[in-house]
Amino acid sequence: MRNLIIFIRQYFNFLLFVALEIFCLTMVLRDNNFQHTAYLNSSEAITAWIYKKYNDVQYYFKLKDTNDSLVAQNTRLLNQLAVDFDRPDTTGRTVTDTSSGRKYQYLYARVVNNSVNSPNNYITIHRGRLQNVKPDMGVISPSGVAGIVRSVSDNYAVVMSVLNRQTSISARIDSGYTGTVAWQPLQNAVHGILKDIPKSARIKKGDPVVTSGFSTLFPPGIPIGYVEKISDKGTGIFHTITIRFATNFYNLQYVYIIGDLGGNEQKTLEATETQ
Amino acid sequence: MSILLKNILRFILLILVQVFVLNRILLYQLVNPYIYLMFILIMPFRISRPLLILSALALGLCMDGFMNTMGMHAAACVIIAYLRPFVINILAPPGGFEYTQRSPSISTMGVAQFTVYTLILVVIHHMVYFSLELFGFGGIFYLLLKILVSSAVSIGLILLTSMLFYSKGK
Repeated sequence: MRNLIIFIRQYFNFLLFVALEIFCLTMVLRDNNFQHTAYLNSSEAITAWIYKKYNDVQYYFKLKDTNDSLVAQNTRLLNQLAVDFDRPDTTGRTVTDTSSGRKYQYLYARVVNNSVNSPNNYITIHRGRLQNVKPDMGVISPSGVAGIVRSVSDNYAVVMSVLNRQTSISARIDSGYTGTVAWQPLQNAVHGILKDIPKSARIKKGDPVVTSGFSTLFPPGIPIGYVEKISDKGTGIFHTITIRFATNFYNLQYVYIIGDLGGNEQKTLEATETQ
Repeated sequence: MSILLKNILRFILLILVQVFVLNRILLYQLVNPYIYLMFILIMPFRISRPLLILSALALGLCMDGFMNTMGMHAAACVIIAYLRPFVINILAPPGGFEYTQRSPSISTMGVAQFTVYTLILVVIHHMVYFSLELFGFGGIFYLLLKILVSSAVSIGLILLTSMLFYSKGK
């Protein structure tokens, strides 16, 4: 026993070093698990508060671009108003109330921090648990898909940006084929890749890539990006497609969080099938 | 100003500069300088080793909190805090450095020694951090190039900063 104490005292520094190193590496390895909710992150009170203060200043300098993107989105939404469409003739048949069938609900949030240049990028937003934000909700910018909520605190949430190694978003191209959008750390914040589109699909530069609506995260038809380059090498059965993201990640000021009102039912059903 | 207060201020200032200025820099996906580890480099010579390691852990965890990297910075910081006394011993002239009450800087160690000291610790930090960050991704060549280029820029910035603030050999 005495020898043990002497041993510990003699090698105290080394043992402390090893213990802390194991502690750190455990955190790193646990964090690689996609489902795990990180507890030390930028949604925590102090870091989020500091990011918010910084953003209050920085926000001012980007007002012009923010305005432009919001005006563009307003225009698009105005074009979808019910008043702009001819109603069908309903005199001959019964029309049931359709407003109860609402599936998605949007909540706007201010971006307080956004990184674009690490291998795994995150966005911190000023909305949290108290505003009904939950992990695994989709997040879109005024111009396209932005990310997926990963962890929440009372008033802040951390969003896994599309610019993340773990990104995998179900996507559809005009001709109806579906694939997966991913991002690789060697790419910049402008380009991503579209995988799993068979070579039989006819595509050309500039084609829009939109969400498929298969997952409960995003409604169908939200822009993800546009086809930039098709580089087919070898004899694989899939295209290699580079896309340009619809969202400008360098200048992200407002985002919308998508709450899927019927999502749990779909998830539960799918979970029972895959077991 | 007491040494404790000075170090606390330095801790906060370096983290803010790192998070709000340097983290926004990335050239060609390669140059990604880290200056915050200067806090560990210029802790006083005489600080006890457990205290040095624990404050390095605190520094690393703060950075992880800001960058959502969960333990990667902490791991790299703890390693260089543990290795720092060995590096100082190797570089010290026979009989140790003259001003052991003070902290490592150009005026207490000399330009050549301080550069080598910074070089060794920064390269170790970047090796550990980028290996964890890019684990299993992008290939060994990219990793080595990123370590090399980022270390060069970090070392340059750290030396420049220490020349700006610590050049007066009191």
